[in-house]
Amino acid sequence: MDRSRRNFLGLGAAAVGTATLQPATVEAREARHGGDAAHRWAMVVDLRKCVGCQACTMACIMENRVPEDSFRTIVSTYEVAENGKSATYMLPRLCNHCENPPCTPVCPTGATYQRQDGIVVVDNSVCVGCGYCVQACPYDARFINHETLTADKCNFCVHRVDAGLLPACVETCVGGARIFGDLNDPESTVSKLVASEDVKVLKPGEGTDPRVFYIGLEAEFQGRVDGTPTLWRPSRAKAEPSLV
Amino acid sequence: AGFAHTGRTMVKGAWAGEHPRDRISGNALSPEFTVDPKTGELAPTPGQIVANVTCQGCTTLCSVRVRVDAETNTVLRAVGNPYSPLSTDPFLPYETPVRDSLTSLSRFEEKGLKGRSTACGRGNAVLQMITSPMRITSPLKRVGPRGSGEWQKISLEQLVAEIAEGGDLFGEGPVEGLRALRDLETPIDPAAPEFGPKANQVGLIAPVNDGRDAFVRRFFNLAYGTINYVGHGSYCGGAYRSGSGAVFGDFKKMPHAKPDMQNAEFVLFIGTAPSNAGNPFKRQAALAGKYRTDGELNYVVVDPVLTNADNRATPGRTNWVPIRPGTDGALVMGMMGWMFDNGRIDTNYLAQPNGKVAEAAGEAGWCNATHLVIVEKGHPREGRMLRASDMGFVALEEKDRYGDGDAFVVIDASGAPAAHDVAGGAAALFHDGVVQTSVGPVAVKTSLALLREAAKARSIEDYSAICGVPVEVIAGLAEEFTSHGKKAAANTHGGMMAGNGFYNAFSVVTLNTLVGNLNWKGGTIFGNGRFPDSGEGPRYNLASFEGAVKPSGLPVSRPIPYEKSSEFKARKAAGKAYPASQPWYPNAPQLTTEYMTSALGEGYPYRLKALFFWNSNPVYGIPGMGLASVEKLKDPKVLPLVVSIDPFINETSAFADYIVPDTVMYESWGWTSAWGGVPTKLTSARWPVVDPRNDKTPDGEPVQMETFLIRLAKTLGLPGFGAGAIPDVDGNLHPLEKPEDWYLRGGANIAWLGKKPLPDASDDDIALSGIERILPRLKATLKEEEWRKVAFVLARGGRFENQSGGFVEDKAGHTFDKGLLVYNEALATSRNAMTGKRWTGTATFTPPAFADGTEMRSVHKAEDWPFELVSSKSVLISSLTILATRLRHLHPSNPVGLNVEDAARLGISTGDHIRLTTPGGAAEGVAIVRHGVMPGVIAVEHGFGHKELGARAHTIDGERQPEIAGIGAGVNLNDLGIADPTRKGVSVWLDPVAGSAVRQGLPARVEKLASA
Repeated sequence: MDRSRRNFLGLGAAAVGTATLQPATVEAREARHGGDAAHRWAMVVDLRKCVGCQACTMACIMENRVPEDSFRTIVSTYEVAENGKSATYMLPRLCNHCENPPCTPVCPTGATYQRQDGIVVVDNSVCVGCGYCVQACPYDARFINHETLTADKCNFCVHRVDAGLLPACVETCVGGARIFGDLNDPESTVSKLVASEDVKVLKPGEGTDPRVFYIGLEAEFQGRVDGTPTLWRPSRAKAEPSLV
Repeated sequence: AGFAHTGRTMVKGAWAGEHPRDRISGNALSPEFTVDPKTGELAPTPGQIVANVTCQGCTTLCSVRVRVDAETNTVLRAVGNPYSPLSTDPFLPYETPVRDSLTSLSRFEEKGLKGRSTACGRGNAVLQMITSPMRITSPLKRVGPRGSGEWQKISLEQLVAEIAEGGDLFGEGPVEGLRALRDLETPIDPAAPEFGPKANQVGLIAPVNDGRDAFVRRFFNLAYGTINYVGHGSYCGGAYRSGSGAVFGDFKKMPHAKPDMQNAEFVLFIGTAPSNAGNPFKRQAALAGKYRTDGELNYVVVDPVLTNADNRATPGRTNWVPIRPGTDGALVMGMMGWMFDNGRIDTNYLAQPNGKVAEAAGEAGWCNATHLVIVEKGHPREGRMLRASDMGFVALEEKDRYGDGDAFVVIDASGAPAAHDVAGGAAALFHDGVVQTSVGPVAVKTSLALLREAAKARSIEDYSAICGVPVEVIAGLAEEFTSHGKKAAANTHGGMMAGNGFYNAFSVVTLNTLVGNLNWKGGTIFGNGRFPDSGEGPRYNLASFEGAVKPSGLPVSRPIPYEKSSEFKARKAAGKAYPASQPWYPNAPQLTTEYMTSALGEGYPYRLKALFFWNSNPVYGIPGMGLASVEKLKDPKVLPLVVSIDPFINETSAFADYIVPDTVMYESWGWTSAWGGVPTKLTSARWPVVDPRNDKTPDGEPVQMETFLIRLAKTLGLPGFGAGAIPDVDGNLHPLEKPEDWYLRGGANIAWLGKKPLPDASDDDIALSGIERILPRLKATLKEEEWRKVAFVLARGGRFENQSGGFVEDKAGHTFDKGLLVYNEALATSRNAMTGKRWTGTATFTPPAFADGTEMRSVHKAEDWPFELVSSKSVLISSLTILATRLRHLHPSNPVGLNVEDAARLGISTGDHIRLTTPGGAAEGVAIVRHGVMPGVIAVEHGFGHKELGARAHTIDGERQPEIAGIGAGVNLNDLGIADPTRKGVSVWLDPVAGSAVRQGLPARVEKLASA
């Protein structure tokens, strides 16, 4: 089955049109939202430290039992030639857990929402797999899980964060590039880095206000990258060029 | 397809697919434990075990912590072991309770960010190999001819009986069993007694030491008595190791130092790249990321292929310099020439003739730069070091002359000759003249003068033309390398596997000698090795036993001088001592490369009658080996018995007569250490955290390598196995009936090393480390005073010296104290057996060549073969990890890299189908056009292009294994390796000195087959 996002554009509309679920009430949504409003979870990715080993990619898959051939996070790797000098650019990608997520308002069933601690999640018991959120995400961070047929994406390993642990990708980041913490805590490492370093976000023009910040992010990589991905090529890349 | 999906959704509404476990987390695993972020209080998750063991995803063998679901006997995940420097920087003090080690990984006080302990991408995924459908779990015997892919399951009893006793095992005629072959008296060839006894006709090809090597050696070397036991070095990084051995003065153990990346200001990586490959892979990657960002580290990678190591986000800190394959020595000798011309060598270090004066001069080591070499033409000792006895400084008996007690000679500060070990200060660096010996004048030069001559043999412009690196870059690298005092280092590895790799590597390592950086913080460090498990330990003697054999004779790969052979004597008597029938390798260790060609194909020096492959795959891994060896391997008349000990059917074991299933990863025992690059001492533990999936013997023991060898030894009546095989320190004897009899006693040795034994593991350590699973075995095997100390080690995943032991002020805590060799006398006075010519004693540049010195490019000319193939490394896929489906999904194939200008000329675009052809074979692949490949080079990533491991379905007891196309995806460069046209019979191209396989710089052409 071709699972390209273009494909979902058509079927999503059809699916929503025939869904029999009632939109959740406001109260029910609030009750489901969870998370402690005292925290605002965020990630800083220090691109200078990324070694391109894909430990994050693999740890996410193993921890979250991501369906085969799908990725919640990945390290896009580009070869860049400029002024006769070639170098490698590695860009870990994941859900940005935006302050203003464009994916949640388009959800017809309220399945995807932002917790009070900022983590954007999908309630797979409510999702109908319409794919609106997949379309709405400017970061191509979402996909339809081909096992559950519901929307899927990074949720900062919310089950680990709630257990007092770190997201799997952070825990195993070989270069120490992924830093996770609480933006509401001024003493946290992420707060200090956001304050002291020249942090940037992907697609700032979208107004999404991401909570994944990058150190060392060049302007030409903030949007869709036209360069040739080189050093690896996921098998789904042909179906979903957005992945790379 | 989309429409059908829509229909299903319409009928079922939400959850049209499978119901995940949790509405938010889906099918994510339950956390292994919880930690209260406010108090740090830890609560384990019932049913999950967290255990510190060792990863086998690559040869680094990192200590990792795995999560196991006890009920389903499944390894869920792997991350790093926070006690281990291979996974963590900084790592925990060894005495830390296990409970605190777990808390240190959590969000509590953000400890998990600071103490992050990691597994790499491959390490995260390779646990899939445990449950691979390709796994063999029963002993197999072939049905039909070798390689037919038809097998039957047999019992362990039948397996052992047939291998021991032989007989007409396959209806193809009688096969000698191991009992008949174990003749320790009768020579293989009475005319060549140096070959040793017939027992040497049994050989074993081993993998990297996965922590069980000593056990297998105990069987083959000490109990069975064969000399023919060989590892994988000759087709891994053998050229680097031999080149390093030339500097460190040991061609058998081949010591090597590594850059101290934590403290170095500049590191020059040539033919290796941190975070791409090399060893320790993950530690180097972690240090590169950390110290190029937060520290002082700058580095340059010189390689034909750009890798992740040159990270654009750290401008100025990382750089890539492209170079032609097999020309690294030209670059380095060009750098050296510049250094000599510009006075940029460390004369304070180089001028010290011995360790004592070096220390007084503030150095951390010394070398033989000032030692004199006899250069008098026709002198009987030409090429040898001038010795104290030549000068009449000492009177030695003739047998002791030129031995270790006969000092070298230097020109001291007064200008007079002096013994190197009594010289009281700096000596002459560049003496070139005549000294008066007790038998008259003789022409001599210092080692350093000879190196300078070698460097100045060509101009920097000539070197530049050879290697394709601009003159100003060569000079710039030399200037940068010599601008940081002792805080600069050069390193190399797999890129040296060229037809001149030995001298290229010797040159790279000599760069370090010229700046005197060994044993210095920020320079090159030697590491501190391991806490030995299997020696003559403080608790048990695992090194020897009653009746142990001292294997003798000539290994089939001939790691000794040809001049010691009967063949040499006979040829010399006949008037023509050279060439020998085949090359000899006095300056190398044992070589798998020769086991599989001359020994197998030519019966030279003698035939093997039984060959064991233990988790090794030379047919896949050695360039040209498929072409050279498969027809011979298939023929029982050439090689009567082939046994593979392996959990998978690979390109080599596909031709076995029998396959003994081995355990996979976290099912097995083993004691490993760091390969290098760690300043502190360590031994990592591996113990079975899950029950092996293999067949069980009637008494419940899993069928695996150890069970097989123990049963075989007992059947054959070999010493060293069974009851009373292991003596303890008091002389009492203990059994070797089960794997734990060996590995747990090795653990006791580790626990007792040092001034006092380790502390006991606490009940809490045991409860939180998963050790409970094997506690009955600890208690049944070990003494009452031992088991808790061994549990202390196992709970922490090994024994690790604390971080503070790594350095003492600005010097390494553990140093290499012998003198380094600028000039290697043993090398310089040994001869190429094919020509009778002597080798050069210093670093030098010599073009890639075949065994008799014929340059490769004079045979395979550039007009016919305009490209050169190189092997590059993946961070995910290796020869075996293609079996992990998650890795394949991320990295499904290896598109063949070529430079944009070459591609434009040939009309090739990314995605086009192309054919690669070499004099050894052809392969089809998909092109990827890159700026990051040197012009004229074709880059093929290692690990793909499998023909077995599941790419072809085998049939076992009439049942077809699955066949997975993805396992066969891509190209295997080794299928394109070439033979040595200067040798008789079957061969593969080897470095003439190191005997290492050549995979860098294979002559090739490329053509486009079809557009993308």
